[in-house]
Amino acid sequence: MPETGLPPDPHRLPPPGAWFSGDAERHLLDRPRFCPMCGDGLDADGGISTEYWAGDARYFMTWCGGCGWFGEVVRFDMVTITEVEH
Amino acid sequence: MLTVEQNEELTQVGPGTPMGELLRRYWYPIAFESDFEQVATKTVRLLGENWTLFKTPKGGRYGIVAEACPHRRASLTYGVVHEDGIRCGYHGWKWDFEGNCLEQPAEADNQNFRDRVKQKSGKAQTMGGMVWVYVGPDPAPELPRFDVFVMDGVRDCGYTTLPCNWLQIMENSVDPHHVEWLHGYYFNFVGEQEGFEAPKAFQKKHLKTGFEEMEWGILKRRVLEGSTEENDDWKIGHPLVFPFYMRVGGAGIDQMQIRVPIDDTTTWKLFYSLHHPEGLEYEQTDLVAYEYLWRDEEGRFITDYIEGQDIMAWVSQGPVTDRTQEHLGRSDAGVAMLRKMFKENMKKVADGEDPIGTVREKHEIINLPCEKDKFGAEREFARAWITGGSGRYSPIAQDLLDLHERAWANRERATAGA
Repeated sequence: MPETGLPPDPHRLPPPGAWFSGDAERHLLDRPRFCPMCGDGLDADGGISTEYWAGDARYFMTWCGGCGWFGEVVRFDMVTITEVEH
Repeated sequence: MLTVEQNEELTQVGPGTPMGELLRRYWYPIAFESDFEQVATKTVRLLGENWTLFKTPKGGRYGIVAEACPHRRASLTYGVVHEDGIRCGYHGWKWDFEGNCLEQPAEADNQNFRDRVKQKSGKAQTMGGMVWVYVGPDPAPELPRFDVFVMDGVRDCGYTTLPCNWLQIMENSVDPHHVEWLHGYYFNFVGEQEGFEAPKAFQKKHLKTGFEEMEWGILKRRVLEGSTEENDDWKIGHPLVFPFYMRVGGAGIDQMQIRVPIDDTTTWKLFYSLHHPEGLEYEQTDLVAYEYLWRDEEGRFITDYIEGQDIMAWVSQGPVTDRTQEHLGRSDAGVAMLRKMFKENMKKVADGEDPIGTVREKHEIINLPCEKDKFGAEREFARAWITGGSGRYSPIAQDLLDLHERAWANRERATAGA
């Protein structure tokens, strides 16, 4: 995925050198900007994408204010499947 | 993790902010009826604004207007209450319940001047021993008569004012795992340190949690170790009631946990409990209100009871949690879902629609889903609730313990005789 650079208003980022600043920067870079369903801008239409981690995967629980799509966008390095008991 | 802008949008409750506009669509308890036994007025702060709440001397009608008089900004809390409104103590300007100016005694009698000045006002009603107010736009919705506030039983309400944003308390309500750690493992640790036995009911491991959007907010379910999906904790669950309550209960106790957003960094936190265990007859009793403690003499958090532990977790996050620094995990999915619900309803309000939970029809009672068999530990749970929770500060704590024991004994007798 091509890097698009940090969004504008960089002074709202955490102070450089803070332990979490790398995570915050990645969050700004990686969070979905557009609805996977209708393609609307999430910021423009009042949507929200909240990031949480599950192992190596990064989940973005996303709601689109335009079409109401609600689901998760997941970034991962490897697809892993846990077998249920059988 | 959120951006700075998202965090500000979700936590700022003042007039003109998106969240402030959403929150102004709901009724809030802001005082107890007993506050007005000796005085006719009280200053209350809600959603970043100061208000004068007043009660008329004969009719007992409640009204709420902005505290500062539009004339020269003196406090109307030090005014004179009449049956048709409140008169400023400074120059005698009189305001009715809708904020209309009725009199300007030192001015020429001029309707145009009176009409030009209008005081901000809201609506006020009583329910369950508390005074509720609505300070949003007309038409005001109906005051939702949630079950806990109108059912028969013995009621008490612990309250305190906390120096933190209301949202970090709400997020705790969609975080079931904290129960097993904060109220289980940590409580046990505190008990070992201080020489008491912490309740075992809270130490059970979570096997599964679920969050489901419903009519009133988010229904939260859990399966604990030793239980199945057939147990009440999963089958029924209990709801976060949008935007500032959580409904909990079990073992003959029903409770609304209430988080009134006073301003961006202050929350009035109430635990409104109704005790009505099966085995006894009840009628509506007066509300007993009491303040519970959460800091000791040295300023440390008091963490040897359940709500004290919660308060440590909420307040120690700071006045407003910096969500640009958080690192959420899978178990925080409910938190992410709640934020989505706030955003969704901010948009509804901006689009001119009613947000979730707006009640427009007259009604007697709104029954909320809530488990009755809590953690599979009824008798222990009721005792732990009272002695291991903020209820220990209640002036009727011993009476409540006796009530539950009497009801328990009656049920035992009934079962034995059956």
